[in-house]
Amino acid sequence: MFRTCDITGFKVDLQSEKLIRYNAVFAVISLLLAVTAAILLVFTRYQPVHLLGAEWYYRLVTFHGLNALIFWIIFFEIAGLYFGSTVVLNTRFCAPRLGWIAFALMVAGLVLSNIIILMGKADVMLTSYTPLKAHPLYYLGIILFAVGALLAVILFFGNLMIARREKAYGDTMPLFTYGLTTAAIIAVITLASGALIYIPTFLWSLGLISNIDPAMYKLIWWGLGHSSQQINVAAMVSIWYMVSFLAVGGTSINERVSRTAFVLYILFICLASAHHLLTDPGVSSAWKVWNTSYAMYLAVLASMIHAFAVPSSFESAQRRWGYNKGLFQWLSKAPWGNPAFSSIILAIIGFGFIGGTTGVIFGMEQTNIIVHNTIAIPGHFKGTVVIGTTLTFMGITYYLIPLIFRRKIVGFGWAKWQPWMFFVGIALLSISMIVLGQMGVPRRHWDSTFSGGPFTYNFNPAVDFFWALMMLGGTLAFLSTLVWILIVVISVFFGPKVNGPEDMQLAISPLAPQAKAHKGFEAPGTLVLTIIFLLVFLALFFLNWKWLAATWNVN
Amino acid sequence: MSLFSPAEGWYDKKVSKDEKMWMVIALVLCIMLFVWMIMWHVYGKQNPSNITYRTSTAEFSKLSEAYTKQNMIGVDNGIPVVRPQPNSDVFVMSEMWRWSPVMILQKDQSYKMHISSKDVVHGFSIQPVNMNFQVYPQYDYVLEFKPTEAGEYKVICNEFCGIGHHTMIGKIVVIGNEEDLKLYGYENFKKAPDPLPEKKNEPLTETEMALLGEQVYTLKGCGACHKTDGSSQIAPAWNGLFGKEEEVIENGKKTSVVVDEAYIRESIKNPQQKITVGFENTPMPVFPVTDEEIEQLIAYIKTLKN
Repeated sequence: MFRTCDITGFKVDLQSEKLIRYNAVFAVISLLLAVTAAILLVFTRYQPVHLLGAEWYYRLVTFHGLNALIFWIIFFEIAGLYFGSTVVLNTRFCAPRLGWIAFALMVAGLVLSNIIILMGKADVMLTSYTPLKAHPLYYLGIILFAVGALLAVILFFGNLMIARREKAYGDTMPLFTYGLTTAAIIAVITLASGALIYIPTFLWSLGLISNIDPAMYKLIWWGLGHSSQQINVAAMVSIWYMVSFLAVGGTSINERVSRTAFVLYILFICLASAHHLLTDPGVSSAWKVWNTSYAMYLAVLASMIHAFAVPSSFESAQRRWGYNKGLFQWLSKAPWGNPAFSSIILAIIGFGFIGGTTGVIFGMEQTNIIVHNTIAIPGHFKGTVVIGTTLTFMGITYYLIPLIFRRKIVGFGWAKWQPWMFFVGIALLSISMIVLGQMGVPRRHWDSTFSGGPFTYNFNPAVDFFWALMMLGGTLAFLSTLVWILIVVISVFFGPKVNGPEDMQLAISPLAPQAKAHKGFEAPGTLVLTIIFLLVFLALFFLNWKWLAATWNVN
Repeated sequence: MSLFSPAEGWYDKKVSKDEKMWMVIALVLCIMLFVWMIMWHVYGKQNPSNITYRTSTAEFSKLSEAYTKQNMIGVDNGIPVVRPQPNSDVFVMSEMWRWSPVMILQKDQSYKMHISSKDVVHGFSIQPVNMNFQVYPQYDYVLEFKPTEAGEYKVICNEFCGIGHHTMIGKIVVIGNEEDLKLYGYENFKKAPDPLPEKKNEPLTETEMALLGEQVYTLKGCGACHKTDGSSQIAPAWNGLFGKEEEVIENGKKTSVVVDEAYIRESIKNPQQKITVGFENTPMPVFPVTDEEIEQLIAYIKTLKN
């Protein structure tokens, strides 16, 4: 059963649409759970308030991690995969009934794990490093969720097969779906790692296996934990290209380059878990250096290629629309009133300047010594997963509400500034966490005054300022997430129906006009921006190595 | 176009000059990052070690206890203090929730630290120099440190290790000369430990038993949770404990017991049998102590008055 979209002209499989809707709704529920925990955690670590007791602090760190990093992101990605493989390809959903089974498994996993955590039976953090042991049902919940997600990914491939066989798209798969396909391939690797580690751990918690080697656990667990971040990156970058198209009619200035960059993600992430073992015993330096980089950091290169290709697709389209003056008129005349567009631009900036720079520097063998397990690490991935992925997902939702849920956005004025508020909040949170970490503040730590310990330690007094900044940023981010959730929930359940193109509040731009053939630079503004990025990276790079050189000698 | 098939001829389209420039710059940077890490192994002075031994928690516990017993020159807040020779091997034990021993190191001298854990994964984080390493049970990680500046350093745990994680903090003192010991009140610590009294054939006196008990208390890490100064955040304090009436939970029911020899023996051998009210969330693990050591601990507890 199809409907033809009166706005985009796509053929929409109604079964698929329903699945997309339900997965998206559960993503939003997970996000609400995650941020509710997050605000309590912020006010616990902010020592003047120190809200929660130790027990609930660690419990909610576990709860927050699982809901934010796993449930919110994966539910949303499954919705995205279904969207990219059916609606975009004008094709039907291969096996809707299996789609519902996958969904039911994921929901069951979410409910089970969360209940066990809140009952206090799994205070083990998201990473659950053995020999810390949780209740068997906690591991079972995650296994159920992962099996559901894996099934959903398989269905994505099924949809692609149908589309290919029925020739639903032209000769070449659209770039958006191509990017999602790389995400799906990485997801298979990732979920396999997850099964490889959670199933034995589950058996161990039941007493059927006597010992799980802690170093082996960490190596394989991060095959899930880190590689899954590459799913996010691939999915997020695909959305960036899509929004460039929707908002300004832009397209990658060279699709071959963009597609090659996506392939690099698959080929060069396999042992991403090496980044988490840099200061661990058990593996040699040669192993660490090789497996973090494969000699040339081609996964980083892939992101840097996208860092040029995505903004240049905006720039090139804007220039062809006539905003051709100077280096940056294409930016000043951009559709800033479109919340999806502003979300994506802010996500690119945050992902690159905060998450990307720190990610590369912290992920090098020796510099990891000065940040490993400090609060700089969550600071770094607030820059990647929260500003990057979450803000991107929030942004694209502003298109999903009218196109998939067929409702007008209620409070569109609020939607315009929500991305900015979220960006400022997380940027403050993230940067202050990174600075705190550089001063040695540990992550996942209830009391940085060490009350009850045999000794005490006072951090550099400057930490007080950054704790306050972090609290402020966290509060802003929390409030803006609530605004987003309210907009989404009210629009989806109570918003006025969309009856046609005239009800679209966000513009869908026609394709930008063809360029006259010209030599020289296609996107000079973008080149300048990427060079600025490079300089910032180099400054942070040398700063960190200088700090490292000032520590004790160790080998 | 990202939602449609790309325009005809997309595969053969020439890469624009600026994009090509950027890709070359990016690739050069990426290769530089790789080369940089290798060069740091040659010229840099901070490189994580390649030496790891497989061990077991029991084996490493024995090793580190023997090491501490032999080299202990004093006690700081219940944690034994050692002063290793430069270039010697030092055995550092981590457990819920303490680092042992406290180390006095000489500036600009190297020490081979063997670090492992008795229970779960811990994070070895030296502050304020901010150097961080991962510590596992079953793995002996050998890191050769050379402190480059004198001062007082703390070792905090930065890998979650249970409810008392935040109380896990140890100490390293780096001295430039002997005078510096005064800064930390360590000037009276004896240079070498007294050898243990020869085993006599007649039974030990209560006082001798209590002294040995204190040593067991320090070495086995009882002091990580059980304080002797009345503070009781994680576990009941030991001062004034003997003879006291305690509220406990047995088989889910509340009862009260008088703390006597039998109760202490049971609590060490089978800690979950009776759990003191107020400490339900910090269950005590079973420690490898001998019957003889338990008697010594009892003698020690008896001497601790309020």
